Amino acid sequence: MADYILEAENLNYAYPDGTQALRNLCIQIPKGRKTAVLGSNGAGKSTLFLHFNGILKPQSGTVRFDGKEIRYDRKPLLELRKNVGIVFQDPDSQLFSASVYQEISFGPLNLGLPEQTVRDRVEQAMTATGINELKDKPTHMLSYGQKKRVTIADILAMEPQALICDEPTAWLDPKYAKQTVQLFNEISRNGTTIILSTHDVNLAYSWADYIVILSDGRVIGEGTPDSIFTNDDLIRGADLEKPWLVDVYEILAERGCIAANMPLPRDKEDLLKLMDCHDKSGGEQENYDYSTVGNARRERNKLSARCKGL
Amino acid sequence: MLNIDGFAYNNRLRHVHPLEKAGFAMITMFLCLGFSLPVISYLVIILMAAAIVGCAGIPLKIYLKLMSLPFTFLLIGALTIAVSVTTQGVDAGWLAGITVSGITVGLTYNGLATAGGLFCKSLGAVSCLYFLSLTTPAVEMTAVMRKLKIPSLFIELTDLVYRFIFVMLETADDIYISQSSRWGYASLKTSMKSLGQMTAALFVKALHRSRMLFIALSSRGYTGQINVLAPEYTVSVNNIILIAVIESTLLITAVLLEVGKIG
Ligand SMILES: Nc1ncnc2c1ncn2[C@@H]1O[C@H](COP(=O)(O)OP(=O)(O)O)[C@@H](O)[C@H]1O
Ligand SMILES: [Mg+2]
Repeated sequence: MADYILEAENLNYAYPDGTQALRNLCIQIPKGRKTAVLGSNGAGKSTLFLHFNGILKPQSGTVRFDGKEIRYDRKPLLELRKNVGIVFQDPDSQLFSASVYQEISFGPLNLGLPEQTVRDRVEQAMTATGINELKDKPTHMLSYGQKKRVTIADILAMEPQALICDEPTAWLDPKYAKQTVQLFNEISRNGTTIILSTHDVNLAYSWADYIVILSDGRVIGEGTPDSIFTNDDLIRGADLEKPWLVDVYEILAERGCIAANMPLPRDKEDLLKLMDCHDKSGGEQENYDYSTVGNARRERNKLSARCKGL
Repeated sequence: MLNIDGFAYNNRLRHVHPLEKAGFAMITMFLCLGFSLPVISYLVIILMAAAIVGCAGIPLKIYLKLMSLPFTFLLIGALTIAVSVTTQGVDAGWLAGITVSGITVGLTYNGLATAGGLFCKSLGAVSCLYFLSLTTPAVEMTAVMRKLKIPSLFIELTDLVYRFIFVMLETADDIYISQSSRWGYASLKTSMKSLGQMTAALFVKALHRSRMLFIALSSRGYTGQINVLAPEYTVSVNNIILIAVIESTLLITAVLLEVGKIG
């Protein structure tokens, strides 16, 4: 068993019109984790994903799945596509059927599963994505967010080892985006590797275990969210911004409102706890633990008091 | 057309097995076409109106509007049959006519009867098709075609065309809005130009979409055939008995009338 589910080595790819989309790209995606691929528009995220699924063949370099190099013959390709599923960015290009049920049954049927298994998987995928009540609706009558869920169910029904999602939260309203992220967390719980691309640094920071930054067809940085987002040069070089949490944390630490050299807070609650703890111990905490929870309202009051003091 | 599609997904017969609905519509249509007595056509028209408005719950106003679409078209067609031309002169079979330099143009009893019969027959057949398209969504029709072992290429095409009609329409709508918000349709000249540009843009987009679709299908293991499963419908014995009763009543009535006419 390899530690990395998908690896690419010295990948080069140019589109027929001459656009060099990937340049000597090297990447390793850890197995069973949540990876976010960050990069501005045109960085090469979608192109990279198409290589992971064997749709595009590198002009030079290699792609490995589960430690084994990808072979581009019919059989091994089908096997690869069974294990690596892509949810495409534009649902209207992925949904080919007007019927939600037919649409989801397509993938598992191609795996050669018996009819009853396919039906079970379609039901499971619809339940997981919360689209059971859309079963009888035609895809052209769905909202954008609903279509997006159907495209995720499409891939879930194939039960891949790695689920790739190209810009899953682009165009989604905050509520749907949050639900989608929760859905990914649930999927990841049963061991599925999840890879998503985004240019939303806040999402990547609080969701991912591992972050890869792509710029101009190259990987210019990779690592844990903490290490990536405290590297100012890297963030600037990739035309990205700092997540607001890191920003606020650094400002507070600079002003002495909060202890520096702490593990970075991953969400708002973490930040509030950090501030609360700093108050109690008078600014001298050594072994800090986020689980020292205080009263939520009191924390909020403290925050507002602090903000006034800033 | 779009309106029909909307009703197909939202009517009281939506969850009836599509094969039952298709069977009902098709058998009735064949009976209507097979027997030449106008009474049968009247019966079929009334039966289908009752099924569409009464059972499926399509508003009467909508149904009348839909029926009026082929109505004018059929009327014109029937008129050309009703009018007879002859050089033999007017006899007892003629209802009215004008003779100009030996050629008589006018209406005969026979011609009128044929035209009337044809008109009713077509209207009856049309109402059968309306029943099917107002109660059965296109995807379920293709599911029926799959069951009837119609070649898969034909079914796949029907499915894809149906799906992408809506994607295309949406795209065209977006382009139209963006054009008209910039005065693209302010005058006849700019309208022509905008329309041309929209057509070109649609063509390019269609090409792009088909490429993306192929990629997306391939990534899910597409190898040349689109295999899908339709949801399972429950067969209702009651419905089948009801359909059998209605159809055999219609058939017996038709046969009796036909025999009576000959005798
Ligand atoms: N089908 C294509 N033909 C030509 N160039 C393309 C095509 N698809 C993408 N590109 C180009 O390749 C580069 C990388 O694109 P892409 O992988 O889509 O980036 P991202 O998904 O990160 O926005 C861009 O410069 C883009 O313009
Ligand atoms: Mg992209």
